[in-house]
Amino acid sequence: MRRLFLIVLLWLPLLCFTCSASAETFTCLACHSAMKGKIRTEAGALINVNVDGEQYAASVHGGFDCLTCHKQLSTNPHEPAKTAGIPKNVASLAGKIPHKAKVDPIALAACVECHDAAYDALQQSVHGKNVIDKKQSDGALCIDCHGSPHYITPKNTAASMVGKKNIVKTCGECHENEELAKKYNFGTHILERYRESFHGKKYIIGHPNAPTCVNCHGYHDVRKWDDPKSPVAWDNRTETCGKCHKGATKKFVTAITHKHIGKDAPIPYWFEKGLIVLLLSVFAFITGHVILEAISEIRDRIFRKKEGHHE
Amino acid sequence: MNNETSKEYLRFNVVERIQHVILFTTFLLLTFTGWALKYPEQIVEHTGWWITMWGGAKTAGLIHRAAGITMLLDFAWHVLYLGYSLSTGKMKLRADTTIIPIPKDVLDAVKNFLYFFGLSKKKPEFGRFSYIHKFDYWAVFWGMGIIGASGFFLAFPVQVSVIFPSFTVNWIWEVISIMHSDEALLAIVFILFWHFYNEHLHWDKFPMSMTWITGKITIDQMKHEHPLEYELEFGDKKGADK
Repeated sequence: MRRLFLIVLLWLPLLCFTCSASAETFTCLACHSAMKGKIRTEAGALINVNVDGEQYAASVHGGFDCLTCHKQLSTNPHEPAKTAGIPKNVASLAGKIPHKAKVDPIALAACVECHDAAYDALQQSVHGKNVIDKKQSDGALCIDCHGSPHYITPKNTAASMVGKKNIVKTCGECHENEELAKKYNFGTHILERYRESFHGKKYIIGHPNAPTCVNCHGYHDVRKWDDPKSPVAWDNRTETCGKCHKGATKKFVTAITHKHIGKDAPIPYWFEKGLIVLLLSVFAFITGHVILEAISEIRDRIFRKKEGHHE
Repeated sequence: MNNETSKEYLRFNVVERIQHVILFTTFLLLTFTGWALKYPEQIVEHTGWWITMWGGAKTAGLIHRAAGITMLLDFAWHVLYLGYSLSTGKMKLRADTTIIPIPKDVLDAVKNFLYFFGLSKKKPEFGRFSYIHKFDYWAVFWGMGIIGASGFFLAFPVQVSVIFPSFTVNWIWEVISIMHSDEALLAIVFILFWHFYNEHLHWDKFPMSMTWITGKITIDQMKHEHPLEYELEFGDKKGADK
């Protein structure tokens, strides 16, 4: 009995550690979990100041102090930026992305402290280059795909924005956005064509092996298809498709284009139209025939009793 | 006459009946397991249990492939069996008994429509297979060619891609996917309306014609539905009755 008690006692601190954050976090959350709504920063951006304490504690980052990432916000009220004590890599990255951060570029860059490999890959990607080199504020960085770092859950959970369940929708947030499509000159039909394809259909009905966007295009170091390092670049395709389709050849890998059916692909377009005509004519014939025959049968039984009967 | 009505005529032998049972079993399995891929978003949203019932998307896919291959083998068996029966003389080509469409079928269809509209007092007289049966039968051949071939291509895309000429590779898979899915819908609707009405819901047959199990129809029914074949088989007896 005593031993059992001891075991429980030994486990208790661990339990506390897993379900709660540090004392410092509680200080921040004292205000931030109670604050509701949005405020306008000096730069004019509307930001959400509320942090859901429970959801934060349940997230993968739930054990962290707020100051792990929000390195500059140690004072109350929060004073303007102090660069002292900020690691070099975070500071240098933060300097490249101020246009992207609504309020705290340091926090936005702080991901690199732990996730440096992912950040390196991102900087080489079409998304990273767009934000860092081309200084675009509407391009994708960590939180655009992963969501708020306060609430990130493991990628095998249903809530994860980058897990299998939601990744296609997450990519679609931008890639089905008409304005962004116009600005960056990409088609919004790509996801629609994916969903109509066998890959997409299998994904929708929950096939565990069905590929999503990231399985072919990559994720942190995603590149445009004409970049020779892109996994869907012509020279890399056999390898990329070969991950699932063993022995994929050049001839085979041309199959997926995400092309519009129509102008860009007239043969499937007219083929489908032809089949629809065939389908509708057969439907019209068989339903017409069945209905007319049924009516004539009823007519025979009711009005021509003698004739309709067997000899 | 009374003696005759109790008699039955063997319409389909045991091999033909087994082929039919395999055909409709695999057809139903293919329909049930393939349906979710036709309208995936709607199925997942409203009837997700349907996919679960078939063991999830992966298992349903395996069942679909197994059923598809079984169906194609059944089809091959049928074609070989036909070839064998014809070459050994067990089956003879005759206008009154053949399943092959002949000009009379078009005429029969026109006559039947005239009868439906009340413009003709007499129904057309059919042989062993009416144009309705022939349509039913050849629709399966069409389906085997179109859906069977495209299904085979889709099941083994890497291996099959070798046979397509280079100028087709950009669109051929779109065409194959459309072929498989649209023609499957056609087959399902066809069976639901044509076959179900003619062999199940029909006044004389509801809930179903038992010929698929026994292979037999009554002489009475034969006289009524296949008068030309009856004439051919029992012509003398009929003459004696008169």
